[in-house]
Amino acid sequence: MSKTETKKENALPTVKIYIMGSAHEVPESLTIMKAMEYAGFKIKRGAGCRAGFCGACGTVYRKAGDYRLYAALACQTQVEDGMVLTQLPFIPAPKGIYDIDTLQPTESSILRYYPEVARCLSCNACSKVCPQDIQVMDFVQYSLQGQIDKAAEVSFDCVQCGLCAIRCPAEIPQYHVGMLARRLHGKYNTSTPETLLERVEEIENGTFEQGFEELLSLSKDGLKKRYTERDFVDQKKA
Amino acid sequence: MSYEYIKFGKEEREFRQKIEEISGENIFSCYQCGKCSAGCMFSDKMDRTVNQQILRIQLGQKEKVLSANTHWVCASCLTCSVRCPRDIDVAAIMEAIREYTLREEPEKIKISELPKKVLEKLPNIALVANFRKKTG
Amino acid sequence: MVQYSYFPGCNLKTNAKGFEETAIAVSKKLNVELVEIPNWNCCGTVHTMTSDNIMKRIAPVRVLSRSKKHIETLEESPNQVVTLCSMCNSTLKIVSKEVSDNQDTLDKINYQLEDDELTYENDIEVKHFLEILRDSVGYEGISKKVVKPLKGLKVSPYYGCMLLHPEEAKIDDEEMPDVLESLVESLGAELVMSPLFKYCCGSYHIVDQENIVSSQVEKIVEAATRRGANALVVACPLCSYNIDQQQKAMAKESAGFKPIPIFYFTQLMALAMGEPVKINHFKEHFINPEPLLKELGLIGRKKTK
Repeated sequence: MSKTETKKENALPTVKIYIMGSAHEVPESLTIMKAMEYAGFKIKRGAGCRAGFCGACGTVYRKAGDYRLYAALACQTQVEDGMVLTQLPFIPAPKGIYDIDTLQPTESSILRYYPEVARCLSCNACSKVCPQDIQVMDFVQYSLQGQIDKAAEVSFDCVQCGLCAIRCPAEIPQYHVGMLARRLHGKYNTSTPETLLERVEEIENGTFEQGFEELLSLSKDGLKKRYTERDFVDQKKA
Repeated sequence: MSYEYIKFGKEEREFRQKIEEISGENIFSCYQCGKCSAGCMFSDKMDRTVNQQILRIQLGQKEKVLSANTHWVCASCLTCSVRCPRDIDVAAIMEAIREYTLREEPEKIKISELPKKVLEKLPNIALVANFRKKTG
Repeated sequence: MVQYSYFPGCNLKTNAKGFEETAIAVSKKLNVELVEIPNWNCCGTVHTMTSDNIMKRIAPVRVLSRSKKHIETLEESPNQVVTLCSMCNSTLKIVSKEVSDNQDTLDKINYQLEDDELTYENDIEVKHFLEILRDSVGYEGISKKVVKPLKGLKVSPYYGCMLLHPEEAKIDDEEMPDVLESLVESLGAELVMSPLFKYCCGSYHIVDQENIVSSQVEKIVEAATRRGANALVVACPLCSYNIDQQQKAMAKESAGFKPIPIFYFTQLMALAMGEPVKINHFKEHFINPEPLLKELGLIGRKKTK
């Protein structure tokens, strides 16, 4: 038995992954993001909430012996043996510039900013790649048909990671299209929730100013202490 | 009067074969009766008629074929295809010339430069059809 | 009531709402129900005529396969998907013929669809609504439901290209069709024949070569009005848009030009069958047909002349 193998017996079970072509031995229980950090990568761009909500850590990978190209959020996906991966910290896709207050929700308001939607080939590559399991093609089609409400509903879980836009043969920025649909739907087709109005009023009346000032005056250690000791119990009700 | 020599080299043959491959039609089926151009409702707007284009393809004259506006004026109404006495899908040959161009330069129409006002009023059916024909 | 799996196509949800609403209303009167496919996608509008581009054939085959799934949920439904738009009709028919002739192409497309739990097995027929009216309902059945014959309306049928071309997609004889003619007559309107009944309107060139469309439309309208037509009847939302919108522009430019309103064939049927006027969405037309209809006493109570 060689030295290295004895050493391994006591360590966590590991898998071999390839990050941008170079091999790394990492514990099998890690997520892709943690595995990259374990392997020594410092992630400056391409990580955010680390909880699957911000969509900053889009990653593409292949598995050993499998021709398919997979995509996932690095913070939500466990490593597998033989995985070959790279992160896509940023997706270049132009955003339409619009003023939501003057834009009206008509059948053509999405095509006006994203005419490339009309190039959709219905290949469904976008839905297959989506880490949120959204039927991306369906909401693109709804946008083409001018059914903004349906497009907004179907795209609701989108975290704007942009992986769909990378896979699209028609070069559509689906995630921006969904965002516009949700903005239009939210602004014009739905009523504003009362709780939101209440909270806006509270902010405008300065209800939280004292709390913010208190936090801003704290030292780094003081902030850390407050963070670790925080609880989510409603102070008023408790 | 100047004469033009007809060349029949590798380049000419390859262009013709590529058009045949994309369209799936035998270009030499055409016997130049001109029925396609006679029935074409866009002939007056083309700088070379449809049967002339086909002759150029037979001769493999790539530059001349691609520089004409014929295939971009064609609206795929398919009248030529249903009337051809040699059963050639003439419109498919026009489509093949378009595709040949688009496979190298994918944008005959610059979508991002279309004015917002135009996009607003156009029906989606026109955009879908146009982009399918004019972008690759 | 016979239920048909109905594929609307993108434009019937935006620019041609009147087409869809009138079609659904009149079909109910004729004991036919058009049930929309859930989650349908755009068929691609134009069919690729290349021999090697599989990608552009995926959309129409996906429509057929979604429709097949839909038909299984319907009662008393023939194995047919019905379209109203003539461009959808042609695209779907061509592709269904192509894949039935070429198993290899179908296999390649099915390979793409498999991940979405869809496959297509050449087991569905594409029909245009006009074919249903002619072959299943019959003109006599339509005449019987007419409560307000369209007297005074001189209608010229305009087929456009995609109802009659190509061979695989045509719903009638490509040089001598009579389906729109018979329909117009069964509604009590006067028929005006125009030689330019399938003179292409310029189609998708409206996006970047408007001049082509305007010169085509000018000839189409002129040919019909010279023979006394006061309305055109169409089956294609793009023909309708092009002719309607260009006429308005031309009327603005020259005072001598007399524009005529465009109707979808289902709108004429709805008018003749006494359906409420508002389902026609006449407000969305560029040339409003209401003044003419009022003048002829076909809508509204007052007769102006």
